[in-house]
This record gives sequence, C-alpha cells and structure tokens, in this order.
Amino acid sequence: MLRSKVCDLLKIEYPILQGGMAWIADAALASAVSEAGGLGIISAMGTDCERLRSEIRKVKTLTDKPFGVNLMLMSPGVEDMAKLVVEEGVPVVTTGAGNPSKYMEAWLAAGIKVVPVAASVAFARLMERIGASAVIAEGGEAGGHVGDTSTMALVPQVCDAVRIPVIAAGGIGDGRGLAACLMLGASGVQMGTRFLVAQECGIHENYKKKILKASDIATLVTGRRSGHPIRTLKSPLARRYAEMEFDRSVCDDQLSGLRAGGLKKAVLDGSESEGYFMAGQIAGMIREEQSARDIVRSVVSEAEELLKRCDAWLV
Amino acid sequence: MVKEKVIAILAEYKDCDAEDIDAAQSFEELKLDSLDTVEIVMNLEEAFDIELKITEDLKTVQDVIDAIEKLV
Repeated sequence: MLRSKVCDLLKIEYPILQGGMAWIADAALASAVSEAGGLGIISAMGTDCERLRSEIRKVKTLTDKPFGVNLMLMSPGVEDMAKLVVEEGVPVVTTGAGNPSKYMEAWLAAGIKVVPVAASVAFARLMERIGASAVIAEGGEAGGHVGDTSTMALVPQVCDAVRIPVIAAGGIGDGRGLAACLMLGASGVQMGTRFLVAQECGIHENYKKKILKASDIATLVTGRRSGHPIRTLKSPLARRYAEMEFDRSVCDDQLSGLRAGGLKKAVLDGSESEGYFMAGQIAGMIREEQSARDIVRSVVSEAEELLKRCDAWLV
Repeated sequence: MVKEKVIAILAEYKDCDAEDIDAAQSFEELKLDSLDTVEIVMNLEEAFDIELKITEDLKTVQDVIDAIEKLV
C-alpha cells in the first residue's frame, strides 16, 4: 500500500493534493477529492470572505475528512481571509505567490498546517524556517502562475535543502508522475490540471473540452515581461498576448489589461475569444473526464504497480 | 563595512562590478525578482551569521544594509 509521511502529517489516505486553482477549486471539487482520500483544496482567489466562509462550511457538510484552503498572497482581501481560515478551523492552508510569514504566528497558534508553494530552494528553506509543515515544490510545467525551474530539477534540490516533507507539483498527471516524484525524494504530489476534468469540477464544458483535446505542446507561458508568468492553453487571447509581449511599442498597462479577468471568462463562460484557459503541460496526457475518486484511485494504483516493480531495473 | 560587504555579495550574485550597484537602488531596479531577493537575503544571513525578517520593507539595497546593521 502506498503511504508516505505526508499522509500522516495531513491525516489523508493517499499523498495526493488537489491544486487550489483560482476561480475553479470550490467546495464541490475539494470535498470530492478529500472523500476520495486525497486532500481537496478550496481556492480563496476569485471569492470574497463571505463566499469563502460558505464554501468552507459546505465542504464540512460534504465530508468529515481534512481539506485545505489556498490563499494567493497577492490577491486583494487576503488579510481578512487569513483571519477567516483561523475562525473557521481550516486544517490546512496552502499559499501561493508570496511569503506568508506575517500570518504564520496566528496560523500556527490555531494548529493550522501551513504548506506554501515554493519555486526555489532558498524560498523553501525560508518556509521551513518560519514553521511550514511541508512545502510544495512546483516546477514550471504547472499551469497558472509558474516559476522557471522544472519539476525534475527543482524537486530533488528542494528535498536536499529542507527536512520537512516535500510535495512535488507541476507536470504530474498519473501514477508514473507520482512514482517518479517519490523517486526524486518527494513525499507526495499536488495535481491541478488532472482535476480540471474531474466530474465534480464545475468549469465550463469548453474549458474541459480544451483540456481533453490538448496536445503536449498546447500550452505557453505569457507574462514573463511583467514578472508574473502564467502558463495557459494557446487560446487566441494567449497567442495575442504572447505576440504583443515582444512588441516594444505595447505598454505594460495595455498588456495587463489584455489578460485581466481572462481566467474568470474561461471558467464561467468558456469564452473562446476572451478566455484565459490556464493549464499545465501535462494537459496533453489527459484524455477522459472521471470522478475525483477514480482519478485518485487510478493514480495511486498505477504508482503502486510501478513501485512494486522497481527492482526490475537491478540485475 | 556592512555596506561594502552587502554590495560585494550582490555584485557576485549578479556577476557585475560593485561600482555598478548603488545602495539607493531597489531590487526591482537591479532586475532581481522576488525569488532572487529571497536567495540573496539567505546568502547575506549566512555571510553575517544573522537572521533577517523578509518583509515588504526590504525594497532597496539600503533597506537591507540598515536591517543588517541593527543586528551586527
């Protein structure tokens, strides 16, 4: 049976976290993943305090199992949401896009397990020092906001640098990815793109269709010029952004205006022309819509089969 | 003393001459992003054997120098 220290730490059955995808990861998806034995995570991005509170309470009615909330530290209203997760007794908080140090004292005092996303070794070390329970080492294959270093290169280097458990993310979509990450030294994985096509994931059907028909080269990164790179499917809008980014006559405000609200339009309307369909490079491998339970179970059983056969390499 | 050492560490990180770094410059102006900044601060901590709080107040090289001078 597959088990790792992340299971004991987060009190989950399988070492699989569901990425806290902005506008996407709601109570329905998170509770389905937690019920399946992974860790479901609600995104606080794209909600306000009132809605976040109701999503948290909704998860609690749908499952008794642990779940998490993802806070994007750049997003407006994050200070109030940081208090809200304490009030609502959220067991796990994952953080992205910044340094959560100013919230740590309150979170740790409340017994919250804090698991920040780290895109570099130094940042992971800093997170360990301020009291993180684990870190998510996320490589540039991931969808949404990304760092440069790939998962293959980042994960073993982070594992060497910290003692807390490392959860690998970026480019993982099946049991092979999970098994490989365990080999790299990680104690678990976080998957986002694979859960985009979970039956319980409420994104617009156009978004799901795009993931299901994506190929290995279907994504690109835009926003390097602004310092906020985002991986997304090559939609008409993303291609236009990529073109304009290299055009010096286009000013930064014009660029940021182009992308603003694009994810929301993708998630809610499935808008072909204005949607920003964020996805990781692994989208090309994802071919069917399944329940969260089937996703978690198939990833785990595939990894178990592979790990059992590991000694086949030794002759 | 602290200033020279900080600038020397920054210059080594950026592979540039110390003269090219002005303490009044922000990390952003030096073309260093947030991940670079975290790594540099960790390097400085090791070099000075101190522990710094990484906050939004550390914007310029001078801010970092001031923070270190309070601790050494």
